[in-house]
Order: sequence, then structure tokens, then C-alpha cells
Amino acid sequence: MSAASHQNFGQKSKRVVNEATVKWSNLLLKVAEHDRAAFEQLFVKFSPLIKAFANKQAGADKGVNMSEELVQETMVKVWQKAPSFNPEKASASTWIFTIARNTRIDLLRKNARHFVNKATSIPGNDQQDDGFDVHDIWIENEDEDIFNQLVKQRNSEALHEAMKALPEEQSFILKKVYLEDKSHSEIAKELQMPLGTVKSRVRLALNKLSLSVDR
Amino acid sequence: MVKYHPDTRFLTDYAAGSLPESQALCVAAHLHYCSGCRAKIRELTQLGAEFFLTQEPEAVSDDSFDRLWQNLQKQETSAARQTHPQQESATTPDTTKATKTTTNSPKSAQELPQAIEKLTRGNINSLKWRNIGKSFRFSNIPLGEQSRETTLFHIKAGGNVPKHHHGGDEITVVLKGSFSDQEDHYHVGDYIVRTSGESHTPVASQDEDCLCLASLDAPIVMNNWFYRVLAPFFNRPTAW
Repeated sequence: MSAASHQNFGQKSKRVVNEATVKWSNLLLKVAEHDRAAFEQLFVKFSPLIKAFANKQAGADKGVNMSEELVQETMVKVWQKAPSFNPEKASASTWIFTIARNTRIDLLRKNARHFVNKATSIPGNDQQDDGFDVHDIWIENEDEDIFNQLVKQRNSEALHEAMKALPEEQSFILKKVYLEDKSHSEIAKELQMPLGTVKSRVRLALNKLSLSVDR
Repeated sequence: MVKYHPDTRFLTDYAAGSLPESQALCVAAHLHYCSGCRAKIRELTQLGAEFFLTQEPEAVSDDSFDRLWQNLQKQETSAARQTHPQQESATTPDTTKATKTTTNSPKSAQELPQAIEKLTRGNINSLKWRNIGKSFRFSNIPLGEQSRETTLFHIKAGGNVPKHHHGGDEITVVLKGSFSDQEDHYHVGDYIVRTSGESHTPVASQDEDCLCLASLDAPIVMNNWFYRVLAPFFNRPTAW
């Protein structure tokens, strides 16, 4: 009896998660058909998260305020790329996060390049770049190979629960990695700990989340 | 079969978007050949999205959506005026790539990672190469980043890289062919990290030329051959 009700509860909570995932995915599919109302709903949900994401990044407090710019540029791309969104391949939130991440890299590269060019003041050098677009290096398109290997996406709720159960020192570092735009070396420097310690904390955390660890 | 892979540190920083460009280029090159690591990146990116969702939302300005919408309307009318029927910005590079590769060498086109294809335009001889000795040459890749040197190097079949000593760390990804050093034999896709203080002499296999991508930590110590060779070019704007 109690086992049965447990199972019921499990199914119920799973369905709730799926409903949320399905909701954002369906909105994105409508955006692909130029549905303004659907786009506005996505905007209301995601733009405050993109803004928070921009404000947490290193350098945000050094006068380089790109938060509104990141919101605008990311959402423009969401609108433009929506036709290529495939709910079978990614959840709407992962898809939007990937675009926000790449747009952030892009804006930072543009700022850095502008700064470097200004500093070295090579005339007419403003347009010079290495010729790579961000998506040449951070590939956005998911390939079929991977989908044949993985049966389906990890259950978002289960991952979420596991994240909450992480020890503070581990989730603290993962947040720096993912939200503050800091590499392992930068974190090591900031927290004045050896790079190996940062690496092992991240590895321990990923292990607890049953995610990729070194072979 | 790819044997050497980037460790969790490289993969996590890449998925989070914080890995500096030079190393990210190496990871991307490895991912091109390794579906196992691509699957890991997918998981790590999903984790990033979960952290993204747990953030405290920050209100955007009131007119944010209206500005966005006007912007999109403007872009769409100007796109329509140019009689470009709604071309996705994401598909544009692919189209140019496809045209370029058909004019050059179509077969090698799919062999190399996307960024390297773009760089070489389907033909590695289109790059500016510097020779050292008879069997070794390299071509510097100018990235915006100052702290590392990024370079393609090419060893003729049976030839070797001049003996050198690593002042900083060096990442090498094999793109074509294979090479060996005292420790192992490395094949296409292998991602090899050498740390400061190691000394080695890579030799290409006898039957095939070897093309590699490398990212070197700077400043490189004075007794390093790479430094001596590259030093005169550090401040020169490179065109390719």
C-alpha cells in the first residue's frame, strides 16, 4: 500500500516536470511559426534569467555592463533560430542556455578585441579578427551520433534534486564554473587554492550527479 | 580509435563557455572526432542549463520586449527588401563552407574540424607556413587572445619535430596522420597535454604526413625553439 502510493507520487511529480518542459518546448515551436504571444511568454520567463546570467559574469562589476545587450541579442537569436529547435534533441531551457552562453562568449570576444585593438592602436584594425565565429568553436548543432548513444535526456527533476543534495563547497564551485564565467584556473586563483583542488571538487560533484567523469 | 581525451576540467570549462579560445579550439577539434566526449559535453551543458534556471531572476527594463520586437520587425523588413527569403543566420556559414569546399578539395572537407576547415578553406596549402628544417613547418593561428600561441604544425611522413623543451604546458590534437614520441603513438583525434618541464621529440609515422593543432602557454621560456622562431612575429598583424 505504502509502496504503491510512493510510486504514484513519483509518477505524479515526473508528470509535473514533463509538463513544464513540454510547455516551454511548445512555446518555442510556436515561435518557429512567428507567434508573437508565445515569444513574449518565453521572454517573460527567460529574459530575467539571461540578465542575471550576464550580471554574474566576471567583469560585470568593472563597468562592462552588457546585461541588457545580452538579453536583446540572445532573444533575437532565439526568434531567428527557433525553426531549428528540435524538442527530441534538447529541452527548451538547454537550448536557450546554449544560445545565451554563446552570445555571452561572442560579446566578450568583441569587447576584448575592441579593447586590444584600441590598446595597440593599429589603424584600421578594428575589423580584424581571427575569422572564427563563436559557433565554429562552440558548436550549436546537435548531431545524430550522440542521439543514437543516449536513449533520452536525463530527467531534469532528478538532476535538480541531486544538485540540491551537493555539499556546499561543491555546488559553490560549480556555480562559479557555470554562472560566473570562470575557468578552473581563474577559480583557483580567486580562492587561492591549488588547481588540483578545484578540479577534484568539480569531479566529486559531477560524480555525485552521476555525470561525466574522467575515464 | 581516439585514446587521449580532454579531462573533466577542459570539458566543464568548455561547456560553461569559460575556456579560453585557444584551448577551446583544441577541445572543439577533439570533439569533431570523439562522439563519447560530445555526449559528455551534452550532459555538462544540460547541467549548466539547470544552474541557469536556479538563478534569482533579475527584472529587465519595462520596454525591453517592445525594443526587441521593433528590432526584429526592422531586421525582417530589411531582409525582405534584400530579397533574401528569411535566411537563418545559423545556416549562412554552412552555405559558404559548402561552396568553398566544392571549389577546393571536397574530400578532405569533412575530415577536419569546422574551425580548421574555415581557416584552411579546404586546402592547408592556402595558409602561410614557416619551415624549420626539411620535414617540419608551422602556421600560426592569430586569435584575439594574448596569453597563448595557437598553431597548426605539419610533419612530413617519417620526419620529426625539432627537439624542444616545454616551458609552459602544450596541448596537441592530431588532425591527420599519426605521430609517436618516447611514450606512445598518437592518432587522429587524440588530445595530448604536455606540462612544463617535459622534453620530447615527436616523429610522424613513416607512411603518412601528420597535421596537428597545438596551443602553447605563453610566455614561453627563452631556450624554447618555438619562442625563438615565433618571437619576430609576435607583433606583426598576420594576414591569411
